[in-house]
Amino acid sequence: MSFSKAELNRYARHFVLPEFGMEGQEKLKKSSVLVVGAGGLGCPLLLYLSAAGVGRIGIVDDDVVDESNLQRQVLYTVADLGKSKAETAKEKLLALNPHIQIDVYKERFVPDNALDLVSKYDIVADGTDNFPTRYLVNDACVLSDKINVYASIFRFEGQISVFNYLNGDGTRGPNYRDVFPDPPPPELVPNCAEGGVLGVLPGIIGSIQANEVIKVLTGIGEPLSGRLFLFDTADFSTRTLKIRKNPDLEIKDLSFYEEYCMPGRSHIKEMDVSALQKWMDDGEDFQLIDVREPYEYEVANMGGELIPLGEILQQADRVVRDKKVVIHCKTGVRSARAIEQLERQFGFSNLYNLKGGIEAWQKK
Amino acid sequence: MPKISFTSALKRFFPDLKEEIQLPGSKVSEILKNLENKYPGITDYLVDEEGQLRKHINIFVDGQLIQDRRELSDVLKEEDEVLIFQALSGG
Repeated sequence: MSFSKAELNRYARHFVLPEFGMEGQEKLKKSSVLVVGAGGLGCPLLLYLSAAGVGRIGIVDDDVVDESNLQRQVLYTVADLGKSKAETAKEKLLALNPHIQIDVYKERFVPDNALDLVSKYDIVADGTDNFPTRYLVNDACVLSDKINVYASIFRFEGQISVFNYLNGDGTRGPNYRDVFPDPPPPELVPNCAEGGVLGVLPGIIGSIQANEVIKVLTGIGEPLSGRLFLFDTADFSTRTLKIRKNPDLEIKDLSFYEEYCMPGRSHIKEMDVSALQKWMDDGEDFQLIDVREPYEYEVANMGGELIPLGEILQQADRVVRDKKVVIHCKTGVRSARAIEQLERQFGFSNLYNLKGGIEAWQKK
Repeated sequence: MPKISFTSALKRFFPDLKEEIQLPGSKVSEILKNLENKYPGITDYLVDEEGQLRKHINIFVDGQLIQDRRELSDVLKEEDEVLIFQALSGG
């Protein structure tokens, strides 16, 4: 692998770093990282990974830039309000370093796409903002034999570790479930929207996370595997705690996700495919909406109106209010999300989630 | 007596928590019992109805994760430092 003159100039401070050198830079250029979440942690993470020259970076985020993000999500400006975070991030990062490739996924990280997304990258960095997705990232990485560079924040505190690290002897280091075996009920653990977060905190913790990603990719130093680093910026206390694998822990698939942790899902009205069939047979007047992506719709569809999840709020005026509306996706996860968003933002009360999605319909 | 400290996220629920306190106890379960006397209600947050550690909580003794989340039978020495901390989800 060779570097252009511009790249040689750009990475000059890496080349002169004895432990890094040309070899480290080549490793970075050949590497790929999937960054899940382009928010508080994702912004510094993406900036530093891009600046450092990681060859290919995937960004998964279905969210748009909101004014309340600007206090800490330093990739975005006032001019970006309302725009896709993943797209905006790509634009800024390529302006920072045009020698790298950025892949954009304007979607949520869900069981439907988790394994597929993870499989396309060497390692994963978790910058998500909720427990369900954190467990999903963890489990997808364990199932796919990928390293998960983890960080999380709240108020003044941060936690960082390198999970599922590949040891020299071929074994894997501890993962998130070795520390916290299962997700907590949502009411017991506040998120940053409820509990607040100091704006600079994700800058600190996300930068440490970027450092661990670069260490893992280049093989420099000792990665934070088997250890959990805690930083309380309020009293400036740090702790590096030992963690170990739980021999009884086994992750077999991603099925936990639907069972445990769709926050707020319990209030969503659901129907199964036989109930839908009955509506059709009875000539019930209802609207059917498909929130999958156009390429999925092309492969197979149920004749519903296509509004991809990422556009559901912008196109909410296409969702009728004067009759029942059934929303579906592939398995029922994205459609539940769509209903949550529509109910929360626009107060819909006539929406039904098709349990099992088009997959269940096809099996019927 | 073992020294007990807490992740500051816990102070959201128990604002009176001191940075560090000393409590008698030769097992993790005894420490929690004594903690409850000092901060009534706190064990409800830390353990479930069956006395098991809640899923988002964990305890380190001298920088090592405890072994027994169910009965909290890990043995403590006089000079041990016990850290009670919880999962954070923010990003």
